[in-house]
Amino acid sequence: MSSSAIEKKALSGAAAHFGERRSSKAGMFGAWYAAEHRLLTMKAFVSTIVATSIFNPLMYLFALGVGIGSYVDKGSGGALFGVSYLTFVGPALLASASINAVFEETSYPVMGGFKWTREFYAMHAAPLRPDQIASGVLIAAMIRSVFTVLVFWIMLRLFGTLPSPRAILVLPAAVLSGLGIGSVMAALAASLKDDDGWFALINRMVIAPMFLFSGTFYPLEQMPIWIRWIGWISPLWHATDFGRWAGFDHPVESWLVVVHAVYLIGLAGIGWFLASRQFARRLEE
Amino acid sequence: MSEIKRDIPPRYRGPLSHIFSGRAHTVVLRSLYALKTSAWYVVLSGFFEPLFYLLAFGLGVGKLIDGVTGPAGQPIAYAAFIAPALLATSAMNGAFYDSTWNIYFKMRFARLYEGMLATSLGPMDVALGEIVYALLRGLVYSTGFLIVMYAMGLVLSPWGFLAVPAALVIAFGFSACGMAVTSYLKNFQEMDWLNFIMLPMFLFSATLYPITVYPPAIQLLVKALPLWHGVELIRHLTIGPPGMAVLGHLAYYAVMIAIGLTFTTRRLTKLFMS
Repeated sequence: MSSSAIEKKALSGAAAHFGERRSSKAGMFGAWYAAEHRLLTMKAFVSTIVATSIFNPLMYLFALGVGIGSYVDKGSGGALFGVSYLTFVGPALLASASINAVFEETSYPVMGGFKWTREFYAMHAAPLRPDQIASGVLIAAMIRSVFTVLVFWIMLRLFGTLPSPRAILVLPAAVLSGLGIGSVMAALAASLKDDDGWFALINRMVIAPMFLFSGTFYPLEQMPIWIRWIGWISPLWHATDFGRWAGFDHPVESWLVVVHAVYLIGLAGIGWFLASRQFARRLEE
Repeated sequence: MSEIKRDIPPRYRGPLSHIFSGRAHTVVLRSLYALKTSAWYVVLSGFFEPLFYLLAFGLGVGKLIDGVTGPAGQPIAYAAFIAPALLATSAMNGAFYDSTWNIYFKMRFARLYEGMLATSLGPMDVALGEIVYALLRGLVYSTGFLIVMYAMGLVLSPWGFLAVPAALVIAFGFSACGMAVTSYLKNFQEMDWLNFIMLPMFLFSATLYPITVYPPAIQLLVKALPLWHGVELIRHLTIGPPGMAVLGHLAYYAVMIAIGLTFTTRRLTKLFMS
């Protein structure tokens, strides 16, 4: 037996061995291993993540609730259906915080995982499937979003702006809105070969307008019709309107409540599928 | 401390010649050349951000608010009240993010300044060149925004056109201080903390509502913030009337620029010339 043949045999033996491990070890929990890795990476930023989760909502609540609120509340309060301005913007800021948190985890980290650290290739060489890696990224981003949203939700409860008994439903709506944007973002980021300022562009031309024109700071109906469509396609508006209905019994037609729920779940599902597919394409090209 | 390379004679021979060779313009040119390879749509998109805020808050929140008053107590539209503040904020943000994130990247990853300082450039050439480039971009954005303000009828004073140079002064102040801060930072986690200064600065500097909503003690605190001086400066110019207060705000920025430049050059000298 020549030495190269021995090598070949040893290699195929190793491949068989790892192949076995591949099926036995990663099988069910593959996505969780990937998520665990992402969470451990986040640990380096844990102090700013925690501080952002608490600090940003507080700043917005004071500035908008107390600052603008003091002007709005003494003026045309009728436009806000008889609740304080702070109550009105609460669910919108909550969903927006979730979107920002997930966006941060699914933009640069996803592109970097393919381009800079190449960690996704490493995971793929270890026994993880592309869809498990994509799911891991999204699970980790969701965990961060849940933390952010929970902190914010508790604050809003303490301020007394979520009085309804079904206010707990505000939480999943906010997390889903983040996941909807984040999963589509992950699919996009996985297809980028170079940065070229794409994320800055998306931040300015998609995330910022969505934040400003989704009925966040005023009722959507108040905008001229040529701007209102931004809200209709924006997960932030769906989560916000749903959150207002759930949080303080804002009058929303029941069919619209169903539309909100279906849209949020649907977008997150489609985004998750797109992200998995794009991860597979990138890893197997 | 090593000296600036003297392969070619310096264009400047004054008292600062150990850190300045009079060739800051080459650093500006380098940035302009680099612009050619960056995406034009990203550069263009920077113009839209304050515009979106103006539309959303002016059209949307403006309808919920009955009225606000200008610097002299005159009643004005809410959009006319926030537009100068958004111009000041966009000057601040553009200058500050450019002088922090971009400079950090160039300093720590691209190692651009090591290369520059190995030539006949001094640290002050680099600092000034980078700031002047940031100001050129600020000039384009703030001119664009002011044109929109004129078109929407939000410039109420004949002195409104001075808002552009005023925005540049604001940008200069934040650039100089941003670079100074960045030169001390060592990792991205530390960079993240800068947001904890910028967001409250934007929200609380009497940008979106008058300072009178605060109790007197908090008002004093807000008046110490650099952005408040910028917002008031531009408000005096676009709404009017511009009084002696304008000089006070300008003096605040003069101090900011002097402190920022001093620390930046000192730090660059220490990092790259010793």
